[in-house]
Amino acid sequence: MKTLLKVIGPVLLGSTLLSTPILAETPPNMLVVGFSMNNILTLDPAAITGKETVQVLTNIYDNLVALNAVNRSQVDPQLAESWTISDDNTAITFKLRSGATFASGNPVTSTDVVWSFKRLMKLNLAQASFLKTHGFSAANADASFTAPDDQTVVVKLPKKVDPQIIVQTLGIVGPGSILDSKAVMQHDKGGDMGAAWLTNNSAGSGPFTLGQWQSNERVTLEQNPKYWGEKPGMRRIMMRHLAESQSQRLMLEKGDIDIAYSMSAADLKALEANKDVKIQTNGGSGFYYLAVSMKDEKFQKPKVREALRYLIDYQGLNDSVLPYFGRLRDRPIQTGLLGALPNAGYKLDVAKAKALLAEAGYPDGFSTTLRAISDVPFMSAATAIQATLAQAGIKAEIITGAGDQIYGAMRERKYELIVGRGGGGQLPHPDSNLRAIVYNPDNSDQAKLTNFQGWRTSFYDEKINKMVDEALIEGNKDKQLKNYQDIQSYYAEMVPAIQPFSEVVDSVGFRADIKGLELNPSWSTQLRTVKKER
Amino acid sequence: MGNERLSAFTRQAGTILATLVGLLILTFCIGRLMPVDPVRAIVGEEADQATYEMVAERIGANLPLYQQFVRYMNDLLHGDFGISIRTGQPVINDILHVMPATIELATFAILFGAGFGIPLGILAAVRRNQPVDHVIRFVTLIGHSMPIFWTGMIGLIVFYAVLDLVGGGGRISDYYIGLVPETTGFLLIDAILAGDWEVFWDAVNHLLLPASILGYSSMAYITRMTRSFMLDQLNQEYITTARVKGLSKGRTIWHHAFANIRVQLVTIVALAYGSLLEGAVLIETVFSWPGFGQYITNNMLIGDMNAVMTCVLLVGIIFIALNLLSDALYKIFDPRTR
Repeated sequence: MKTLLKVIGPVLLGSTLLSTPILAETPPNMLVVGFSMNNILTLDPAAITGKETVQVLTNIYDNLVALNAVNRSQVDPQLAESWTISDDNTAITFKLRSGATFASGNPVTSTDVVWSFKRLMKLNLAQASFLKTHGFSAANADASFTAPDDQTVVVKLPKKVDPQIIVQTLGIVGPGSILDSKAVMQHDKGGDMGAAWLTNNSAGSGPFTLGQWQSNERVTLEQNPKYWGEKPGMRRIMMRHLAESQSQRLMLEKGDIDIAYSMSAADLKALEANKDVKIQTNGGSGFYYLAVSMKDEKFQKPKVREALRYLIDYQGLNDSVLPYFGRLRDRPIQTGLLGALPNAGYKLDVAKAKALLAEAGYPDGFSTTLRAISDVPFMSAATAIQATLAQAGIKAEIITGAGDQIYGAMRERKYELIVGRGGGGQLPHPDSNLRAIVYNPDNSDQAKLTNFQGWRTSFYDEKINKMVDEALIEGNKDKQLKNYQDIQSYYAEMVPAIQPFSEVVDSVGFRADIKGLELNPSWSTQLRTVKKER
Repeated sequence: MGNERLSAFTRQAGTILATLVGLLILTFCIGRLMPVDPVRAIVGEEADQATYEMVAERIGANLPLYQQFVRYMNDLLHGDFGISIRTGQPVINDILHVMPATIELATFAILFGAGFGIPLGILAAVRRNQPVDHVIRFVTLIGHSMPIFWTGMIGLIVFYAVLDLVGGGGRISDYYIGLVPETTGFLLIDAILAGDWEVFWDAVNHLLLPASILGYSSMAYITRMTRSFMLDQLNQEYITTARVKGLSKGRTIWHHAFANIRVQLVTIVALAYGSLLEGAVLIETVFSWPGFGQYITNNMLIGDMNAVMTCVLLVGIIFIALNLLSDALYKIFDPRTR
């Protein structure tokens, strides 16, 4: 016993007294970013899912074009210096910039670009869905993506759509990421086109290369010495898995991390008073919404759906539950996108809702269930909505659980009400919102179109499908804008299954001496421009 | 005699094997009955049905449950623990990476827990119902009943944010990452091997707080158990006899009473150590400690069964090994079992 004390005594003492003092700040040429990495399962651009991976890969891979962080509809050149759209709107020709190289030193050629797109379609993983929606497939990939010469890439549209949406899609991390075909194919294993290798290796031309990925621990990015563009401000970026918002806040306050990507509203609010820390909020992707299932006969009645529309306290929810995460929005197209109308201005109106319910044959309301994942802000939003529903006699029992339980029930079309988040929007085109939230090409159970929230809600309206399709192929910009405005008016009139009450915004905290950070609503925040002013 | 020993050995080995297989079947069933979908985790929310079915087929999730289990067991018997969905790496590599982090944490914690817990327990028993006993019981009651993630958070705020005595989350400060080559995976040992004392002390600095908090909660348990074992002994007649015979109080306590509870203490400490190895997930989350507890939990949450099954197998083996070890120590401490 005594010997044991003799051993641990000095260790305990020594570590507190002799250890080097903890530095109050991160090294000047290294940026430390903290967020929860629970959702990072791979770093292969073709296979990624969700925001966190995009945040990482946007610093490693370039695209042909980049989505502007401020003006959402604007597309900027990246590996392509220019592009032209054919007069008949059926093909896009990209001219590559000269002198761009991959981190390996290989030049970026049209062969790499075409190979990257074909790889995406042939692997047919998560990110392929962006292009599959517009008619691209593994079968037509060879014909759709061609390289007439080393500096030219031609994308032929297999289906009549607005070419602008394809240009924008190629600006998204994942479907548009350009890979070094030679470097990847050196690691081909049994025809997997480097999928296993790319899980934790990188082959891009971006400002940083992947140093190391330790699952649920950290991702390190090293400056790419062969980067073709302006030299990044940082030599190294250390991304740390900090699952707890509280830990992110403490470490940010202490200066042990420079940027915290995923803090809770409570911690962000607490940091407002700290002069060493700044908060930035910018647009995000998708909506917070209340959805009904059209399988339920109550909700098949338009009057009942309309009553629900007046039983949401839009202002109250956004003020109390959603600061830092959402901004009041009651239309199905996000602000800043083509044709987005101002809010319709729905308000909590219990008397009106009661009248509508009475007309529908439910003067005393009814009992139902309301699903929400057991996480902020969903639970608080569900509780608030439960309270306002009760005012009109609708008794909604809250069912809560993990993502798979809640959205799983929605995918199986077995639910009544749900408070959720979704509705596209990573792609800054109104079609992305509408196609996710209301479009439903086939309402049969066998169709299993689980990627359409319209299908999940069992909502089917032939007219709105047609309007969405027509708006997308309208070549005249003025007419297209009018089409999208008309869709929103029609959406307001016929009350579909999903009622948005907020559009997603993203908020991050960062040290006040960090300059040049600009949050990108499509999650592709570039850390290349970030510098430390000390 | 030889035969008897052999059959005893075979019997024990059979029991162990049956335990492990039972454990695997149970884990597999629970894991597959949980409403989580590994395929959905891979393909994401937006994927269509064609992609979903392709991936389901690739990982075998479309097969009936028993076929999945047979397939897993077959791979296992061929020494293949499979690939983790979460990391894309062979599960065995992942475990070799996360286990050292947890062993470091748990070892420091158990040193703390037993190092303080046993003497405090003895002191409390000897000074039964005196103020010092009340204080010890109060302190250990708190350690036992406070949620560990809360203690961890408060610890971080006080010792890291305010007093600046220890490091924050993670095993090491960012600027030291990658400075010493990963030889054993044990950061402290690697730092010593590389002769880099700065890294060593930084790692100790990060280890201290989570290990003490984890140690505090197991100390609470060890103290209470030690106290009750000791009280049991001190009330025995042989203690009174020893004192009457003229032995000093210290000698009676240490040579007689304590010597008799060593065996029970070994079991308690071994089991506490075992549960620290597998069950430190809350403290690992609060301190962003990339250990075994987090690994098994996160993989469970997405239904990554290759990883979960291997982890459970390992936990089973650890507990069986600790049991065998404490059996062996019994034989050393207790002459009657020889």
